[in-house]
Amino acid sequence: MAEIKSVIGTQNKKGQTYTDTWKMMNEAPRTPSFFTGSEVIKEALRRASCDVMIAYPITPQSEAAALIGELFAEGYIGDYFRGESEFAVMSQCAGSAFGGARVFTTTAGPGTMRAMENFPMWAGARLPIQMIVTCRGINSPLSIQPDTLEIAYLLNTGMLVWHAETAQDFFDWILKGYMVSEEPDVHLPLALCCDGFFVTHTKDVVNLTPADMCLPPYDPYRSPVPCMDMECPPVRMMRDPFVMKSNYISYATHASWQQEIWAAVERSRKHSIHWLNGLIDTENTDADIVIVASGTAVSQGREAIRLLEDEGVRCGLVKVKTLRPWPEEEIREATKNAKHIFVPEFNVTGWLAKEIRASVPNHQRVHAGPHVCGGMTMPPEIIVSEIKTALGMKTFSLAGRGS
Amino acid sequence: MSDYRVLPGPEHFLPPAAASMGIRLPNPGEAHINGVITSEEAAYEEAARQFLMAKVPTIFPGPLVLWAWNEKAAKKATAIRHLFNTLKECVQPGQKPMLIPMPDYRPKYPKINPEVEINPNHPNLTIWHNKIDCCIFVGVHCHQANLSLKIIRGGTSCYTIAMCAQAGHEDAMLSIRDTSVEKIMRLADTIKRLKGTVQPRLASAN
Amino acid sequence: MSKERIQISEALYDIMPSDYQDLVKSATYGKEDRGWKDIGTSKELIEQHSLCAGCPESMAFRYILASLPNPEDTVMVGSTGCTSLVFPMVAVHNIHSLFGNQNAIASGLKRALSVRFPDRVKDVVVLAGDGATVDIGLDMTLQAWFRQEKFTTICFDNELYANTGGQESGLMQKGFVAKMAPVGKLFDKVRLPEIARESGCHYVVNCTVSKPSLVEKVIRNAVHIAREIGPTYLQLYTPCILEIGKNSMEGLQEMRDSEKPSERFAYKEYVSEPAKQLLTELAAKDKERKAAAKQLAAQAQAN
Repeated sequence: MAEIKSVIGTQNKKGQTYTDTWKMMNEAPRTPSFFTGSEVIKEALRRASCDVMIAYPITPQSEAAALIGELFAEGYIGDYFRGESEFAVMSQCAGSAFGGARVFTTTAGPGTMRAMENFPMWAGARLPIQMIVTCRGINSPLSIQPDTLEIAYLLNTGMLVWHAETAQDFFDWILKGYMVSEEPDVHLPLALCCDGFFVTHTKDVVNLTPADMCLPPYDPYRSPVPCMDMECPPVRMMRDPFVMKSNYISYATHASWQQEIWAAVERSRKHSIHWLNGLIDTENTDADIVIVASGTAVSQGREAIRLLEDEGVRCGLVKVKTLRPWPEEEIREATKNAKHIFVPEFNVTGWLAKEIRASVPNHQRVHAGPHVCGGMTMPPEIIVSEIKTALGMKTFSLAGRGS
Repeated sequence: MSDYRVLPGPEHFLPPAAASMGIRLPNPGEAHINGVITSEEAAYEEAARQFLMAKVPTIFPGPLVLWAWNEKAAKKATAIRHLFNTLKECVQPGQKPMLIPMPDYRPKYPKINPEVEINPNHPNLTIWHNKIDCCIFVGVHCHQANLSLKIIRGGTSCYTIAMCAQAGHEDAMLSIRDTSVEKIMRLADTIKRLKGTVQPRLASAN
Repeated sequence: MSKERIQISEALYDIMPSDYQDLVKSATYGKEDRGWKDIGTSKELIEQHSLCAGCPESMAFRYILASLPNPEDTVMVGSTGCTSLVFPMVAVHNIHSLFGNQNAIASGLKRALSVRFPDRVKDVVVLAGDGATVDIGLDMTLQAWFRQEKFTTICFDNELYANTGGQESGLMQKGFVAKMAPVGKLFDKVRLPEIARESGCHYVVNCTVSKPSLVEKVIRNAVHIAREIGPTYLQLYTPCILEIGKNSMEGLQEMRDSEKPSERFAYKEYVSEPAKQLLTELAAKDKERKAAAKQLAAQAQAN
């Protein structure tokens, strides 16, 4: 069995050097590049030492999934193919991960929902698969436009769930994500979410790590469960057997198993804090008003704060980077001075506001909004308006022009 | 820092995972006792003390060391045998060290033979049957070790120690991480050094 | 894993349960001509099972595990059902994840093993019931064949959902009265063997498990062809004696009755041209090997 340490400094067949990930991400020179979010996903994968990527077309992730196919053709990915549906793709990803591969896939909206049965299975089976979710509408009538409702469904699967704001987040978090989810004490799948189109289809300057450096390969023999390759013990092994035969102690086994999955989510905290420099980012949280958001709502919140500053209203910002693990302590601390907490969201139910309400004292401080959904944009002005209304200040309406 | 402490049970109908109570795993070079981070040195001392105190100190080697699937595994198995032999030499009359394997993780029907093995789906059968009051997990895959450790904490008063080849186990009362042949030998040496300085629990009832 | 790596650590050998000591001493891992005849003289790869007494599925399991040509480098994939109560007891790594996704799991698994072990043989064998293969998992069954995924699909056809208590399945015979078919099944048994052929399988067999030698032959063929050429499919009748109202000792007769020439499990086989060629080559090699062994034995005796 090869030791990972011995691989560092050696080259893969494409001439990339396996590099200590901390050095690669934090010390290696970065090159500013002007790319779409989809192209950034491709560039991250080029450096990810990924064994298997499985693709399926669904807007708005199709471009990224196809671009990774080009990487495969160039020899950067071990294997790549198009599955027949998201349900099948996520099972194919599971098969590859059971077999000890580092696995990557992408999906969106209705695809996430179709594949849903797989996600608690992934988590229960401790498969460290990485899945990009480029969020879009899920309800009828069909919408391909950005809408983050599907994230709410992922929150109780046992997967790690991160929400990227920008393409830069995406690039860094894809690579760092493997480092967190492959830790033996974590070893869980990661849903790395972003708001579709806003991140995938816009161009941005992204600082890339050198293309001739790549992650150390995944070592399946550090896994907390046996890898199914007939190379490791025990030889009599089913992943995973039914432990629910009808007696008390086996129910306890299943209960203990579920607890272990959520314990692993908890253990990811330490590693996520290490790699992401905290589960949240904060600005001016001594202000009376704090906006707490995730994804591109953070960018809109930041812009709203700038507009409010012009009017003499000081406002802080909390960017929630990880939804699972949930940064409860961090949010509580960051909002302890706030008299008002605003939670702008790109979905109709306001799942983030509900999570925050359940986490902070005096939860009536939490204003669940503004919301937009179905692909609407969120002009910073409506965040400004929501805040001013709550403060009793005069504001305007963006609704229209009147008759 | 969490107020929760990982202590011998029986703790609860369904005891919580220690991680969800805020217990964090030790960093490399550290260990934990009852969920509190300590030096490895302190952990060796405490593990040796618990073993020397126990009526039935037991080693549970798992598949990663029971099978000679690589050279390191076979060497660890030899070290574990040495640990067991050391334990036998260092206990006092009336103490009964045991060496019981966890050969696999399958749910066995109708039940396992608790004299010859321990199984992660119903580990308590082996603990209860043999009246094991202190045990050490070594060479068990982390997931299955945690399943067992929680069930044992829930339903028995056994003191659990985990010598883990990876990041350690917060669901055990004491855990050492990155376990190597040298670390197993060091525990054996510590037991030898503390021989005769620890009073076994033999006198107390049950 | 080479046979040499399925070994118990010497220092802890004495404490291993006897079934594992037997497994390393006398199982047939690595034995070139392993087969059903080893049953009774060697340690079987299936340790125990919790199936009903007399269940033909348990016979099928034993024959298949005795016949896999390369168990030390085979990973099996199952699905939800009675088979999943047996799989924990099988001394070959195996996967259960969801109901019906077995051929998707196997597709990902086979590709991962090919990436990780490019110079080694790693066989993947799917074994699932008819509900998993034909009803809920049909899409993934067929798509794996369309893609020419190189693994074997075995369907234990008991013509109903056994583990949930005997409901109608697509492979049930027309007219059979069952749960969820209260007035009898209204459409024909799905013709999956024909569909398999048209979907790109290189070797398709429809038969019962009444004859262990036949099971051995078709398993070896199916695994070898899948390894070298492309997908293979075996549909094996393993009647659920419980749900068709038979007694424990009547399973074998039920299979014999159902394999008569006019019956639905009369032996049917399809072999593609490249597969035929491979089988011919394998047979020639086998003959050569046996002749060489015989010669060696004769020489040894002469010396």
